[in-house]
Amino acid sequence: MKIVAVTACPTGIAHTYMAAEQLEKTARQLGHQIKVETQGAMGIENELSAVDIQGADLAIFAADIAVQNRERFADLKIVEVAVQDAIKNPAALFSRLAE
Amino acid sequence: MIAIDFAFPLVNGLHARPASLMQEACLPFTAACRFCNLRNGQQADVKSVLELVASDTAAQDACRLEISGADEKKAGRALRAFLRQDLPRADDNLPPPASATVQAAWLPPVFQHGTVRVLPGRALAAGIGSARALILQKTRMIALGFASGKKDAKNELRLFQDACREVEAELRSQAATAKNATAAAIMKAHLAMISDPGFRERINDLIAKRKKSAGQALGETTAHYTRILQKSHSVYLRERVGDLQDLAAQLGERLYGPSLPKAHQSLCAPCIVVAATLPPSELLGLEHKYLRGLVLGDIGLTSHTAILARSFGIPAVSLSPRELGEIVSSGQLVVDGRRGLVIQEPGPALKRYYRLEEMKLRLQAGQLAALRGRPAQTTDGLRIEIAANIGGTKELAGAWRHGAEAIGLFRTETLFLERDTAPDEDEQLAAYRQAAISAKGRPVIIRTLDIGGDKPLPYLNLPQEENPNLGYRAVRFYGEHEDLIRCQLRAILRAARHGNLKIMVPMVSAIEEVRLLRRLLAEAGAELRERKIPHADNIEVGIMVETPAAALFVDQLGREADFFSVGSNDLLQYFLAVDRGSARLGELYSPLHPAFLRLLFQAAAQARKAKRWLGICGEMAANPEYLPLIIGLGFDELSMAAPAIPAVKERIARLDSGACRALLNQALHCASAKEVARLLGEFNGRGETMEVIAAELIRLDSPSRSADEAIKELCDLLELGGRVQNAHELEEAVWKREETFATDLGLGFALPHGKAATVRTGSVAFLRPRRPIRWGGKSSAPVQAVLMIAIPAAAKGEEHLKLIARLSRRLMHEDFRETLLAAKDAKTVLAAIRTCLAAK
Repeated sequence: MKIVAVTACPTGIAHTYMAAEQLEKTARQLGHQIKVETQGAMGIENELSAVDIQGADLAIFAADIAVQNRERFADLKIVEVAVQDAIKNPAALFSRLAE
Repeated sequence: MIAIDFAFPLVNGLHARPASLMQEACLPFTAACRFCNLRNGQQADVKSVLELVASDTAAQDACRLEISGADEKKAGRALRAFLRQDLPRADDNLPPPASATVQAAWLPPVFQHGTVRVLPGRALAAGIGSARALILQKTRMIALGFASGKKDAKNELRLFQDACREVEAELRSQAATAKNATAAAIMKAHLAMISDPGFRERINDLIAKRKKSAGQALGETTAHYTRILQKSHSVYLRERVGDLQDLAAQLGERLYGPSLPKAHQSLCAPCIVVAATLPPSELLGLEHKYLRGLVLGDIGLTSHTAILARSFGIPAVSLSPRELGEIVSSGQLVVDGRRGLVIQEPGPALKRYYRLEEMKLRLQAGQLAALRGRPAQTTDGLRIEIAANIGGTKELAGAWRHGAEAIGLFRTETLFLERDTAPDEDEQLAAYRQAAISAKGRPVIIRTLDIGGDKPLPYLNLPQEENPNLGYRAVRFYGEHEDLIRCQLRAILRAARHGNLKIMVPMVSAIEEVRLLRRLLAEAGAELRERKIPHADNIEVGIMVETPAAALFVDQLGREADFFSVGSNDLLQYFLAVDRGSARLGELYSPLHPAFLRLLFQAAAQARKAKRWLGICGEMAANPEYLPLIIGLGFDELSMAAPAIPAVKERIARLDSGACRALLNQALHCASAKEVARLLGEFNGRGETMEVIAAELIRLDSPSRSADEAIKELCDLLELGGRVQNAHELEEAVWKREETFATDLGLGFALPHGKAATVRTGSVAFLRPRRPIRWGGKSSAPVQAVLMIAIPAAAKGEEHLKLIARLSRRLMHEDFRETLLAAKDAKTVLAAIRTCLAAK
């Protein structure tokens, strides 16, 4: 699968990046392609382009605050989880995607 | 008759101590000495300390001494010398009150556990004390209501004189064997009070002429002076009532010993003494070995009891009567002299919390003591003067405590703000003199009024301007308000007799402005000479370099100025044309801009050529990371907020001035602030680093057993490591974050973090508890390691955030977590984290 994802947490110091890392790591292990945009204290990094989004099968939002520029994902199936869930139990999240 | 006119010099007014010094100065002479307060018309025999005190003399009151008698000439000479030299210093050993701590509105969750009761109060003396409550009953002078009737006056007089003799003897022995100088001075003041002729005569008269009993006479006389003192203008004098009543209680005990309730108790086990009033003599009488803290009624910071508590390092808090009444005898208490709280029945969790606080205070005292006396010197022996910026006299004590070698910037605006009229010469004199005296010969640089349209003063009538930062401000309005500035200069010249004062002119951009100041200074001196008011003849005048024009004009300005100090905050904003308050321009406002460094380089080179010393008093000087560039530029003096001093001294001690100059040379040729930052980062990264993590921020084998304790311990580590100014504030930010959801990762790790203004530089601290901790309620795996992240509220240094993001990502990898959990010592943890931070 081709996945795009956005992570964002209230302070944007730690959880945003931990969740991003966790999603990337787990996707790789499961043989998926993934690109994760972080919306944290450093602003938007690794920003998803229109091409990235068009080519994706679905989007994951691991966020505890509103995702910025959400309209980009209007045509995509979005799976939304709390940041914590992406960090603590990424395997469960990915098995949900398969359904 | 000889008359000497003077303005009363002490800020706390004429209280018992200066009064007893004045009395001693008159004693050798037979001439009669009268003291007159010309403001309120009160008069006193100088040989009566109480009458002197009762004259209600406040700072700067116009006073007169009248001396008449055979040896009046000799007495006049001696008293003039006394008024000039000794009287102004009579307050010197008076420890300045710790700033009244504002009560923390927020308390960590551990304060809400179980049966804990928190009584909010006012901090009198810092420190933490924990023990059982011992409630002392107070001796009430009103209890001296003894029947008059057919008392034999002669017998009563004798009784009273015996009592006085005994108390005097005891005070004398207490003064001789006092535990420290403060205690000795207070005993001497009491001694003067009891042998005071005014006090004694009043009592004798009441007994002999009005047929009162000794007890009644004592009670009425005490009440008389209490009323006078309570009406006094000076808070300090009002708080002397405690001393008077203390003395009266001791006399009362001597007169009627067994019938009075005895407040004195000897302590035989650790305890916290709780008392609505605790006279100084009783505090001294307590066994300090067992005294862990004081909880007192409504008393002030300058009461002798509070002063003594601070001088002995006994934590003390005052409570309102209602709260005081809630304390149960023998109940367990904690006195928190930092937050200003008393805690009843703290319970095991809070006790452990406070044990951590005590541990921090111990470590902190050790750190400060080690650095205080140490001069700032690079590894190759270059000495740099480290000074403190202050906004008022209240900050003096903190400056010296943190090891300042001078006051590099005394902002005088606070004296002028938020009032309807400008402070007069005497009010300013009091403030500047206090600074001069407290400096004990160290330099104090007083900046003349720096104010503009953005801070309107009703009495100045400065125009509202569209762009006050570039407008009619500071030295630019001096020409139109010459009287105001001459008044300030007169006060500075007068105060300069008491120490090493210098003047600094703000916002200079043209040489005429310095010449104007010089003229006003000469005129101020002439006025004082004419009025025959003693003042310093010579005083150095320096220039605050805040405009780019001044920075590039140091050689010419050097003809009119003795020294220069760069105000880097304003200079940077004027030079880059960047408003430092603008959120959108944040990144542009960087002192690392190579063009700015070139400007400073020019200024420094010109100062050297003109043989004038150059300091810097902006925020740039307080940032340990910038120090290599500052040293490379060759500044002679760095002035900063006092709490930043220890970290700066420590960083300087690890720098080589040659290497710093080489670094600066490279920086001057960089193309951008980012390049300089990278260069500087690499330089700072060599050897031991102040970056993100350090050995002292890692504690394995931690005693913490809960999230409460672990978070506190980590905040404390960051405070001890100089990363955070006040651990309590970070603790609050971390807990507020923790409330949205617990930061336990479920992987044996917790990652509490917070963003707060109190954080100086983005940092990480690491802690491994001896036993795993249950973090939030039903956590899947107990927490074996805690990593705390602290970020400044206005995090600009993206580098830190990037490193911390990298570290957070690495935590998702088991091998990294395993390394941190298995590490045998802090060194291994440090190496692992450093490797992670260095990886791309």
